[in-house]
Amino acid sequence: MNPDPFAALGLPARPDLSNEEVRAAWRSIAAATHPDRPDGGDLARYTAASAAYAQLRTPWARSEAYADLIEQNDIEPNEPDTSPLPPVPADPWPAPVPPWQPLIALAQIPARIRRGRPLRLAIRGAVAAALSLVVLHLHLIAGTAAAPADVFGLAWWFVLTGRKDLAPPPER
Amino acid sequence: MSAWSWLKLRVYLWLLGKAVTVTKWVLLVLMLAALWPVTLVAVVGFTAGWARGWPAVRLYRTAAWALPVAAVWLTIVEVLMPGWHQAALIPGRAWNYGLHHPSGAGLLDTYASLVPVAIPAGLALGGLAWAWRTYAMTAGVGGWTASAPISFDSRQWRRQVRTAKVVNKAPGAAPLLTRGDRIPVGGTIRHVGREWHPVFSLPAAACGRHTVVVGATGSGKTNLMIRQWAGWFTAAVQAARAGRGNRPLLIVLDCKGGQDARVKADRTRRLIYGAGARRVAIWPDEARLCLWDLPAPDLAVLLYQMIDTGTGAAAYYADILQAVLDLAVLAPCGPPVNAAAFLDRLEAKWLLHAWGDGRHPAELTRARAAGRHLPDIQLRYATLLGRLGPALDGPGSLAEADAWYCILEGTREPSVAEAQAMALTELAARAATAPDGEPRVMLLAADDYSAVARRVPISNLYERGRSLGIGVQVSAQTWQGLGRDDDERYRIAATADGGVFVLRTAHPEPLTALAGHRRVLDTAHRLIGNIWADEGTTRIQRAAVADPDLVRQLEVGQACYIQGGEATFVQVARPKASPLTLLPAPAEEPVVQVPEPRRAPDPGPPAWPHRPASLDDVFGPRDPR
Repeated sequence: MNPDPFAALGLPARPDLSNEEVRAAWRSIAAATHPDRPDGGDLARYTAASAAYAQLRTPWARSEAYADLIEQNDIEPNEPDTSPLPPVPADPWPAPVPPWQPLIALAQIPARIRRGRPLRLAIRGAVAAALSLVVLHLHLIAGTAAAPADVFGLAWWFVLTGRKDLAPPPER
Repeated sequence: MSAWSWLKLRVYLWLLGKAVTVTKWVLLVLMLAALWPVTLVAVVGFTAGWARGWPAVRLYRTAAWALPVAAVWLTIVEVLMPGWHQAALIPGRAWNYGLHHPSGAGLLDTYASLVPVAIPAGLALGGLAWAWRTYAMTAGVGGWTASAPISFDSRQWRRQVRTAKVVNKAPGAAPLLTRGDRIPVGGTIRHVGREWHPVFSLPAAACGRHTVVVGATGSGKTNLMIRQWAGWFTAAVQAARAGRGNRPLLIVLDCKGGQDARVKADRTRRLIYGAGARRVAIWPDEARLCLWDLPAPDLAVLLYQMIDTGTGAAAYYADILQAVLDLAVLAPCGPPVNAAAFLDRLEAKWLLHAWGDGRHPAELTRARAAGRHLPDIQLRYATLLGRLGPALDGPGSLAEADAWYCILEGTREPSVAEAQAMALTELAARAATAPDGEPRVMLLAADDYSAVARRVPISNLYERGRSLGIGVQVSAQTWQGLGRDDDERYRIAATADGGVFVLRTAHPEPLTALAGHRRVLDTAHRLIGNIWADEGTTRIQRAAVADPDLVRQLEVGQACYIQGGEATFVQVARPKASPLTLLPAPAEEPVVQVPEPRRAPDPGPPAWPHRPASLDDVFGPRDPR
């Protein structure tokens, strides 16, 4: 039995190591010390690491090995190495919405058109423009109050119905 | 009076009545012909309402949106020809011009001159006509045959579905969040008792309360839930940035597990990133949590609940188990910091050492008495914690991410998933109440919770969520999956103040009954032989607000939202983040290599002293590179 299997694998003596950490440690030692290596490897170290891996490969076995170790070294059993493992780094929270957001929203309209349904929007615009031309330039009702009102109505229709053809603004 | 005179009087009266009717119709036709620009718009509006399944209110609203054009026209008239009487004369002049120029160009000229007022007036008129038609068909007084109302309803349903699908295709129709912090769900198919909008949306606050989603597998439940999570998260993020609330924390428990859960987790993560999240953790595949961070008393209770204890004679052993856990967890030196430390404590030597300081004689006595049971208890917990794997053994806390997608293998390993669900809900409760932590606005969503509900009732989750101020969303495949008995199911459904979504399911009656009933007109027609006569009676009846038969026939992606005695049928739009959203740069890889879930047994070490022939025997074939 290896007196300190953790040391044989180059790991800290703690019971909360994960299976992957133990396996990764064994693989790196085994790859460096295997007797089939061209340089002959390091049979003693390989043997010790393999035995240590066999000893530590499950959480339960690690807990046992850790308990044995603290008994051998006469460490207080209720004071294991509990320093936390490095936490998952938290990114900073994004900055708040700037006051000039409306201008940004305006500048985003071309991109929203491109990423929305530009063809439909173009057809709507073409229809509105064509009807406006009919009203204004073909002297249909030129000179009456209805002509500008009709053009306004067509523009109004285009704005109201064309909104849905735009892609949503960012983060919506 | 002779019989002949009486007969003649009856005939005259009949003729008079018919003449009055004909005269009314002729006058109506003449008036409509005279107001032909308005009539034209009204006919178009009526036809659009019929063909697209719109309610009349859609036409009224369009008429209201056209009023600014009329206002502009009146303003221009006022500027060109001061005096409102001039404006009043213009329609008459235009009509007169059309009368004297009955060519195509003349009529077009007349129409173009009157269109600023003809459109709002015509749409309002068309809306009235369509409302009357709908009312007549619903009340059973319209149509040529007795079955006309039935065929009218089914035809209109098909058209409403088609229209809702078209609405969903528009990229800007159903974003993740709209103005007023509302979460668009999808195109409205039909509404009963609720204000109609082309896109049905929920206030984000509704998701912060309790909601229930019930639908069979493949009914579109996932899309609906992901849309709500993303919408809620977007609203909460924007509120936090504007200083109107705390940062959000979304915790999703996918209780079914499997490969599908990984796909859903990935989709959810992309959407939540699109909504502005900086870190979305997928547990247990990519992140860990630490069960041992819980306060010691809560930890002791949780550890006790995680083990399935029997009843009857086994209750004796349950009491011993609880006593031992209290001794191990509430020891003077503090709670255990990980599974291994906890298992170490389930030894007589440790307990006697921990409580043997002379100040706890009662505990020391209990530790001695429990000595012979300790190996069994240690073995049970070693087995349980071994099956749970390292994912709850830390390090990590819920505060480290903006959203957690937790996958529990409720189908494959129900008992493990139940224990995990207990631990995760306890950690969520801790995150909501920790005095030293940052306050977060939380939504705990449990998808297919019925897979783990055997030992953690949903009602318990609800009540805890309510007391802690956490929004809880629960989904189940059936009414029966909501709880163990009807009492619990009704308690869950009736307290869902954020609303109940019912998708296609075989037994929707208990849920649709929550919407209550409404008054409808029931018309009975007299039959003369086999002919349906135009005489009959109408009486007020009561019908379900949410028709369970309609719910039973819902297609994939269709849902019925029930809340406050009202029901809305909706075609759920697939959630997509705005294509303009710039996803944040991938977060830095964690330093610790977190393990993969325990899907396969760990490979054993190579046999020794057998000497392998080559490295390939140990590490597999060489990399071809």
